[in-house]
Amino acid sequence: MSFKDTLESGKFVVTAEVGPPKGTDISVMKHDMELLKGKLDAVNVTDNQSAVMRICSLAVCKLVLEHGLEPILQMTCRDRNRIALQSDLLGASVLGIRNVLCMTGDHVSAGDHKSARPVYDIESVQLLQVVDSLNNGKDMSGNDLKGATSFFQGAVVTPESNPLEPQLMKFEKKVKAGANFFQTQAIYNIEKFKEFMAFARKFPVKVMAGLVVLKSAGMANFLNNFVPGIKVPQELIDEMKAAGKEKALDTGLNITARHIRQLKEEKICDGVHIMAIGMEDKVPVILERAGLL
Amino acid sequence: MIITKKKDRSKLLKTLEGYNSFYLIGCSECASLCGTGNEEALKEMAEDLKAQGKTVTGMIVPKTGCQTLGTKVELKKDKDALDKTDAIVVMSCGAGTQSAVEIYPDKAVYPSNDTLFLGNMTRFQMFDERCSLCGECVIDKTGGICPVTNCPKGLLNGPCGGTKDGNCEVSDEIKCAWVRIYERQKKLGELDKMKEILPPKDWSAKQGPHKLYTRADAAEGDKKGKDKK
Ligand code: SF4
Ligand code: SF4
Repeated sequence: MSFKDTLESGKFVVTAEVGPPKGTDISVMKHDMELLKGKLDAVNVTDNQSAVMRICSLAVCKLVLEHGLEPILQMTCRDRNRIALQSDLLGASVLGIRNVLCMTGDHVSAGDHKSARPVYDIESVQLLQVVDSLNNGKDMSGNDLKGATSFFQGAVVTPESNPLEPQLMKFEKKVKAGANFFQTQAIYNIEKFKEFMAFARKFPVKVMAGLVVLKSAGMANFLNNFVPGIKVPQELIDEMKAAGKEKALDTGLNITARHIRQLKEEKICDGVHIMAIGMEDKVPVILERAGLL
Repeated sequence: MIITKKKDRSKLLKTLEGYNSFYLIGCSECASLCGTGNEEALKEMAEDLKAQGKTVTGMIVPKTGCQTLGTKVELKKDKDALDKTDAIVVMSCGAGTQSAVEIYPDKAVYPSNDTLFLGNMTRFQMFDERCSLCGECVIDKTGGICPVTNCPKGLLNGPCGGTKDGNCEVSDEIKCAWVRIYERQKKLGELDKMKEILPPKDWSAKQGPHKLYTRADAAEGDKKGKDKK
């Protein structure tokens, strides 16, 4: 079943990420794809994540397809104007890519080409509208397409953003602009996430909770201090600390698995998106511990 | 106003190396407020040039350097000094510099400043960019705060996921434009305005070089021009 059909059927879905490498050696990525095959409903391919230049998302999506997994093309507005974005979307469509995640994209100042000219000709809400328009056979200028696309488009949201209200207003705009599903920024506080879901449930969209595996207490502190929109509660930091250096990663995997179980059993959201950030090979372990394999 | 910054002086003097005499043109408007084209700045430049063994044939701080017509009239009064000089150094903005190029097509003209942005003076000689001249103003929809300029991504439909406690992901020194817009709209009781999806910008409105003719009889004048052909 396709990712879209699975999500719409009401089954709890699981996605993870493939981060394209910097360079043409794709052996590690291939190995990860083999490991993930058959275990996920779809896999996101990041788009020059954190504004660090790597293999393009489109090409890696095609490789993901060839490895028997279903890709979700992440598309940011940072590096391409509206002509390039639409052109890539048409290209993705003929390559058989059906899912696209529309994002604004981290600013170039976060990446490894700080003197690059950021584009942002359009942004996430407008990109969702563009995808909708291509699905209906028209480009952004209203010209007819010879053959429409049939994308299943999604977006992102940061449930722990501070202040939250403008973020929720943008969420609403994304729904209006055609988003079918949302993957959230990493969440760690399930009780708080429930409050967000009470809001999100008012809209006809599917929501997948974003989960980032903690590798150490230090990483948790780093996320709290430097990554916008992520809040790791003190009790999780304490749990990581108590585990000690050797058991830290194992504990992090357990926490993620525990959260997945709770989200699924209490039917809090429609699925999870696991961001393993360089530890894609650990995803099967998490799924096993969460009782999903 | 147009914000300018002095170019690195030693690099500038190197650029001017091949000339022996100079005439200096400042500007009494923006460049004076920036301290880059006022009398004091011109005098300082003259000293630096003289220290290099150069001659300064004259100098002027015209009322508005980019007002080409008026500047031309003002420069006429100093015709002798201008005739004598090898090169002109313009100490205003890029527009003022090109006024001089237009007025003196046969003379070498050099800018002494880098032209940075359209700015508001928020304190004495402290400038902030608030408008980037996009050609299609949207701040009627955003509580009078410009997201095109104040958000480094120019986002039109709300904050990105990078807002950190009200600050921008790009720098802690920038307050997130969309948090500012949100707070202001909330205060004004106009939060509903934030729910409207703003369409992609028409960047062709920004596409230069621009020309604008606002004289009341402009259309008439155009017709006459055509008739003459
Ligand atoms: S929307 Fe355009 S014209 Fe209006 S303040 Fe911003 S940059 Fe200037
Ligand atoms: S944090 Fe705010 S100001 Fe900065 S890029 Fe994001 S939306 Fe724009």
